Amino acid sequence: MRVFLGFALTLAWALYLGGTVTMELVWRPVQRYLPPGQVNVLCQKMGRRYRWIALASLAIAGGALAPALRRPHLLSSPYGRTVCAGFACWALLAAGVLTMALLAHPALHLRHDASLSAEEHAVARERTRRAIRRMDVLLRSEIVLAFVAVLLAASLPSGGLL
Amino acid sequence: MTSSAMQVFASFLHILAVAVYVGGSVAMEFVLGPAQSYIPPAQAQVMGQRSADRFLVMVWAALALFPISGLLLFFSLSDQDTLSGTKFFTTSYGQTLLGMIVLWAVLVVNGVVITFVLRPRLAHRASAPAGGAGVTERLEVMRAAASRLSLLTRIDLAIAVFIVLLGASLAYGGGLL
Repeated sequence: MRVFLGFALTLAWALYLGGTVTMELVWRPVQRYLPPGQVNVLCQKMGRRYRWIALASLAIAGGALAPALRRPHLLSSPYGRTVCAGFACWALLAAGVLTMALLAHPALHLRHDASLSAEEHAVARERTRRAIRRMDVLLRSEIVLAFVAVLLAASLPSGGLL
Repeated sequence: MTSSAMQVFASFLHILAVAVYVGGSVAMEFVLGPAQSYIPPAQAQVMGQRSADRFLVMVWAALALFPISGLLLFFSLSDQDTLSGTKFFTTSYGQTLLGMIVLWAVLVVNGVVITFVLRPRLAHRASAPAGGAGVTERLEVMRAAASRLSLLTRIDLAIAVFIVLLGASLAYGGGLL
């Protein structure tokens, strides 16, 4: 059981971190070779698909961490404190993915009405630019958090880090 | 650096390599790949080629990191004598580790086939001038190479997931084989 939970936790964090790193180091640079309209379509389609992979890996990681959280006197050992910190990372990542899926991502793909005035168009464009910046910040925070989560998970077999 | 800190650092690097390999392959195969059908074929080809070129660099970095971090991890553990002499072949721990090394070698061989055989063939065929009687044949060769590439990627992914299972059995138990 311990081996299975360790396998599930490692695989889940690997899927999550590897996916975000690939999106950042592969997909983002490739965007400059494609027309903006197509980048927009691809971002929308890939975002929808990727969100399910991210949520599935977070669900597996949560499920693998849950039994360790039920241990008594959790905060009195390095192992327990590391599990708690891992769980906090998990909660932040889950909140981040949900924010991206429900708020940040839809805001990127709002269609602007053709009947808008030039002033309203400028406001709408500025709103989209802000949404892109917000998405960038969220994505990079997710990567940093995922790195921390992996570091915490890597320390568990040797007794914890904190 | 203490032995325990070294162990955590080596484990972190090991999982990082797994993350890049497994998580990256999943993202490439199930997110970036299928998305290409939503854009015109010429742009999809540019996207496929550029993204695969970049991802291959990451894959080779991960494949190089596996043995480096694995050796670091092994030498930071206190129970190295469990693999001394013939124990490498006779104990469950040793056999599991040997299994991981063999599977890593399979990934390297598949990586060589993808990087030096299938990818150049695909790029060469894709950039060949269109028109003439050989176009259909060229497209067929391209499709065959692309499908072989996809199959090999999925086999690699399955092998990598099994390696993670073997690794977890070493980290949390005494081996699986």
